[in-house]
Amino acid sequence: MRKTFVVASVIALGASAVMLASGTRPATAQGGGTVEVEVKYNGAPVVEKIKVNKDTEKCGTEATVEKVVVGGNKGLAHAVASVPGAKGGKAVKGVIDQKGCKFIPHVAVMSPGEIEIKNSDDILHNIHTYSTANPAINKAQPKFKKTMTEKFDKPEMIKVTCDVHSWMLGWVAVTPGPAAVTDNNGVAKIENVPAGKQKVEVWHETLGKQEKEVDVKAGQTTKVSFEMKGK
Amino acid sequence: MWRATITAHLLRCLVGPSLRRGRPTPQSGTSSAPRICTVLVALVRALPVPLVVCVSFAASLSLAAPLAHAQGDANAGKAVYDLKCAGCHGVKGDGKGPAAELLLPRPRDFTSGIYKIRTTVNKTPTDQDIFRIITDGMPGTSMPPWNVLPERERWNLVAYIKGFAGEKLKEAAKKVELPKEVGSSEASIKRGKEMYEAIECHKCHGNDGRADGPSRGELKDEWGQPVPPANLAKRWTFRGGQSRTDIATRIANGVLGTPMPAFLDAVEKPEDVWHLTNFIMSLGPDSPRYATLLTVTAVKDAIPDDPNAELWKKVDPSNIPLMGQVIIDPRNFNPSIDLVSVRAAYNDKEIAFHLTWDDPSNSTKGDGKATFVDAISLQFPPQITDSTERPYFLMGDSSEAVYLLRWEADKGALEASANGPTKVAAIKGGEVTGKAVYANGQYRLVMKRALAVQGAERPTFRPAVFTPVAIQAWDGGAGEAGPRMSLTSWYYLRLEEPQSNRKFVIPPVVALLTLAAMVLIVRAARSRATNT
Repeated sequence: MRKTFVVASVIALGASAVMLASGTRPATAQGGGTVEVEVKYNGAPVVEKIKVNKDTEKCGTEATVEKVVVGGNKGLAHAVASVPGAKGGKAVKGVIDQKGCKFIPHVAVMSPGEIEIKNSDDILHNIHTYSTANPAINKAQPKFKKTMTEKFDKPEMIKVTCDVHSWMLGWVAVTPGPAAVTDNNGVAKIENVPAGKQKVEVWHETLGKQEKEVDVKAGQTTKVSFEMKGK
Repeated sequence: MWRATITAHLLRCLVGPSLRRGRPTPQSGTSSAPRICTVLVALVRALPVPLVVCVSFAASLSLAAPLAHAQGDANAGKAVYDLKCAGCHGVKGDGKGPAAELLLPRPRDFTSGIYKIRTTVNKTPTDQDIFRIITDGMPGTSMPPWNVLPERERWNLVAYIKGFAGEKLKEAAKKVELPKEVGSSEASIKRGKEMYEAIECHKCHGNDGRADGPSRGELKDEWGQPVPPANLAKRWTFRGGQSRTDIATRIANGVLGTPMPAFLDAVEKPEDVWHLTNFIMSLGPDSPRYATLLTVTAVKDAIPDDPNAELWKKVDPSNIPLMGQVIIDPRNFNPSIDLVSVRAAYNDKEIAFHLTWDDPSNSTKGDGKATFVDAISLQFPPQITDSTERPYFLMGDSSEAVYLLRWEADKGALEASANGPTKVAAIKGGEVTGKAVYANGQYRLVMKRALAVQGAERPTFRPAVFTPVAIQAWDGGAGEAGPRMSLTSWYYLRLEEPQSNRKFVIPPVVALLTLAAMVLIVRAARSRATNT
């Protein structure tokens, strides 16, 4: 009798441990909700134009450096909205392309792990990262090296440049939780966010960082809006 | 014991400036030296110094423990560092020493843990890498070789310097594995050239490696300072050395903290790293072999105006080093033009000078603020006399003028008279002609003038006379104009004596005459003998 009780309690303990463990795991698609983040900016866009003196066939004669892109309804583009607390969800592999002497997308979002770096331009580019948590790299990617793979294992916002074409500027957002980048209307939809109270973080390359807490409901879309201020 | 050490340390730092005056600063020049010392004294005497000393002393003590594996003693290294290195690299190792602002490239910021020259694939250099740079210095920069220090002290410095980066160098150094070495051959150099074009080295380094690629002006280092690409035709200026392995390692690893990326995985085949090395080594000599005397070759035929004419390929060049002008304001601490190759020829009527120099930008006009017109001058005394007195080498002074054979990218060649760098006046009736070509980061110029001329401001050149000559050059694209120039002090020029036929005629004639005399003497002696 006592033996049975011990066995039963061990099983119960084990089961609760498993349940606990799975409880800390982020909810999957079924258990999660969507957070729709709207980012607004009241200031003026900052776009620099630079005259191109080389590779004009690929790069065009004028390059634009988009530092602050403000779209319709004062929406701020290229801002990263993420839920850093919801770790361990579906891993997102990073992909960034160098096309027309631009990094596409301007901000790539990825989970800690691998990123595929493409060169669609048929000219030399070099991937030069300014990272501190991850090893900084400066690797040449000549025209015949169409893709290369790098590893960014630590969460970090990594600036990426190309020294051959100094106007090229991109960012790789290595985020531990689910994340999305705002479109030209300043809207980003973060999917598969575990239900419950979550901290939503918004980051922009020149306007900085903000965070807000939202109550995420499974299967529903929760809206939250931010307003970034100029520095 | 402790107290004594700390007191001694404090004292050393406070009396430091008087000792630091002996530190070699090749770029700082004569007149700026007092200024640096003043800054040093002010810095050291300033209030926060004891605090900084205490903090850094404590830091060095705490660092000694984790660095136990290193061969050097960080504590002992600090003493040497504060005396010999802090003037440029700063007491805190942040590259912000009092002399830093005058130097380009800037002194290394050790706190970043970024080492340009390393034999590792990751950020962390080997101890040997740091030791080697301390020992050999960095050619083409203000970092001198410190092989005057005992080896032990250099290893102590390695231990101390590494400590500035703290956690940033915690990863173990991973040595690069270079592919199997390929020796130089015509085929290898050809393949290297193909690869040089395929991986677009020319974007920065230029078609002939003279650092004139289209991206050159955009390049910045990790600290936001402009950083020019290496001139691959002058490999004696390579920061990390010019041996085959040095060059292959730089190609494979890149130069950290600069735009130079790693190419180890970015060539078609691994051995291409060696083909590239062989090609780069074929672009120029291993040393400039500087000349001490300029010789003007005597020729019989007309001297061509074209800088690419055959004659100029036959005449040996004299390579003359140029330094930045740091005597009067505005000073030029980081001159662009460091070498001019001079070829010269004369015939019975004319004298011509053929000048070759590297300039990464062809500036035929400037905005008058940041960019100016490229120019060069050959300077002579107004009259060539037997006197050893010469005008002031810096383009003359108010009491004595100099004569200039000058060329400007917009105006061409002219004869001028100068009483200092800002007092240059064209000579009326000057007759010099000039023709310049610019290609792939290099100027070639021929200036030609009559050998004998009239006027007190214009010298006549005569054979076999030691003629004082000096050179000044301006890279307008780099903002050089007026006193901001590269220059030499006085050199000597000598017109070799005409190649007359006499040396072929006189000795045989003398030999024949001697023979005739001998025959006559022998005959006379014989006839006397038969007569008696």
